[in-house]
Amino acid sequence: MSELSVNHLLGIKYLKEEDIELIFKTADHFKEVINRPIKKVPSLRDITIANLFFENSTRTKLSFELAEKRLSADVINFSAGQSSVKKGETLIDTVNNILSMKVDMVVMRHPNPGAGVFLSKHVDAAIVNAGDGAHEHPTQALLDSYSIRERLGSVKGKNVVIVGDILHSRVALSNIFALKLQGANVMVCGPKTLLPKHIDKLGVKVETNLRKALNWCDVANMLRVQNERMDISYFPSTREYTQQFGVNKDLLDSLDKEIIIMHPGPINRGVEITSDVADSKQAIILDQVQNGVAVRMAVIYLLASKIKN
Amino acid sequence: MNVLIKSATVIDTSSKFHNQIVDVLIEKGKISQIAKSIKNTSNYKEIELDNLHISQGWFDSSVCFGEPGFEDRETIENGLKTAAKSGFTSIALQANTNPIIDTSSDVTFVLSKAQTQPVDLLPIGALTKNSESVDLAELFDMKNAGAVAFSDYKKPITNPNLLKIALQYASNFDGLVCSFPLEQKIAGKGIVNEHVSSTMLGLKGSPNLAESLQVARDLYILEYSGGKLHIPTISTKESVKLIREAKEKKLDVTCSVAIHNLFLTDDVLNEFDTRYKVNPPLRTQDDIDALIEGIKDGTIDMVTSDHNPQTIEEKKVEFDHANYGTIGLESAFSALNQIFSTKKSIQLLTKGKERFGSITSKIEEGEVANITLFNPNEKYVFGKSNILSKSKNSAFLGQELKGKAYGIYANKKIVL
Repeated sequence: MSELSVNHLLGIKYLKEEDIELIFKTADHFKEVINRPIKKVPSLRDITIANLFFENSTRTKLSFELAEKRLSADVINFSAGQSSVKKGETLIDTVNNILSMKVDMVVMRHPNPGAGVFLSKHVDAAIVNAGDGAHEHPTQALLDSYSIRERLGSVKGKNVVIVGDILHSRVALSNIFALKLQGANVMVCGPKTLLPKHIDKLGVKVETNLRKALNWCDVANMLRVQNERMDISYFPSTREYTQQFGVNKDLLDSLDKEIIIMHPGPINRGVEITSDVADSKQAIILDQVQNGVAVRMAVIYLLASKIKN
Repeated sequence: MNVLIKSATVIDTSSKFHNQIVDVLIEKGKISQIAKSIKNTSNYKEIELDNLHISQGWFDSSVCFGEPGFEDRETIENGLKTAAKSGFTSIALQANTNPIIDTSSDVTFVLSKAQTQPVDLLPIGALTKNSESVDLAELFDMKNAGAVAFSDYKKPITNPNLLKIALQYASNFDGLVCSFPLEQKIAGKGIVNEHVSSTMLGLKGSPNLAESLQVARDLYILEYSGGKLHIPTISTKESVKLIREAKEKKLDVTCSVAIHNLFLTDDVLNEFDTRYKVNPPLRTQDDIDALIEGIKDGTIDMVTSDHNPQTIEEKKVEFDHANYGTIGLESAFSALNQIFSTKKSIQLLTKGKERFGSITSKIEEGEVANITLFNPNEKYVFGKSNILSKSKNSAFLGQELKGKAYGIYANKKIVL
């Protein structure tokens, strides 16, 4: 397979396993590039990319922008705070206005689930979903799997638990789809109030006891509790959440085997993981960040080649 | 207009002509003769159509147009024309306009807009002032002006005591109180059915519990207060069970189901298409099976198109921001007829008439002519060209349907 089966990256659930393999193979090459003294390739000199962030983001936006610049694409940035969205313009009009300036690709973060899918049906540009509400965050899931593959050789057959706020998490959903597609065994763990009632129907195990979950897994992906997305309290206090679902060094050391700790960031140190866990050799959090640039370069490069063809 | 309908199969189980192919002579708005063959001696307009069937006029218990206030969605005039062409001789019009229909003069206004139309417009008055679920509107006054029922449309009655008082008060004058089945706190910000689809799509889900909890509450209150309760557009298997039990207790309750809730499951949401954003949400096949069972055993009294026109600006936006609703008059019969036998479909489209004060007349000599003309066998894919409404937000676009309405004869007028 030399090209992606899709014209947009809207979610992992629209991909095939071979798409992921192709993205990873391409990312291997770009990871080598970004570790060279000259970290840049001229591949996308003729491509213009708009980063549209209708929701706050720091690391994802930086990571995308860096990936685009390392590929020599022209980049424009737009965030909702400075935009005409507040003046009542529709999403389609906003994006079409930007596209009329000859933009080829749109990287979009948006608070509403399905915003990327919606846009892809109404505008003429390749769309990369950089997170849409509680729906998907496909590049995060790709970089997470890429990091597991890098550390453990492959994703297939590995036991991966996703811990925390599954209910409000696009990272969890994309990770479930990506890991299952690659043949991993997936478990979700968290307080029952933060687990979607029908999550088991996606073919994942459900566990509410963190110790049991950690004893089962090879990899634990610790999610941040997304207080900003909660309309009511799903647990009484952060302190009590940490008592049940926080990972500390003592817990980690008491397990039968050495597991890998991941986190999509930003970390609430002392809540979902303690500092000594975050900074331990078992944590691959900073590898994830570096791999994020390589994986995003791969995604953009592969989608751009489809535009050119 | 006097007309002679030629070679029509009568579908009316209350008529002795049921299932017979007959000619029907209509003079001065009444059926004057039904026979195997009638000669057109007076040179009346003759109606002869392919595979023509006739039944009692159809009725829809929940229709929105938009006038006054939302004429860009639909006007009363075009809405009633659409209803006529779709086979409906009477529709109950919801009060969710701007202003809300919550006084007798508002009721008089919408009735005046329908005066010259063949379709009977039966106004529903708001249950509470401005549909704010705080104080009762002047129900008696609205009833005297022509309101056939009282409803705050999709706004649930949040205060149980208000429902109790409404049922008690309206029972003085035999008023029908409608209570939309939704417990808002349980529903939270849910906009689609809470199930696998909502989980896969990251859309906030509203569980079956949000509906059935309100139904259970309303039935408890009805048992205490007495009165006449209508629960519109149920969508869950749990609600069917609760209402079945209530009917066994002889409570005066009726309920309806929206045709799209019988036809589509939440699986269609996978592309975030806002045409499928409806309230109550599309549920699962399990729920549909229970709803169909409820229809068969009489637990569910009537079906409705729950016709709700929305402009393109209100629908062509992100799923979270889109308005709820689908139009349904044009597809109502064809969709039902795809699920049920023609006889059952007709029964479902005529059964709610009495409850909502619509005229009922059989296909018999001497009866008022209030008739729907249709062809039950024509198969087609429902497309934009089949839409007569001003708004085009139909959840049935692209669906294979069966049977088409030709039109109606009602109020001495023929619409084909």
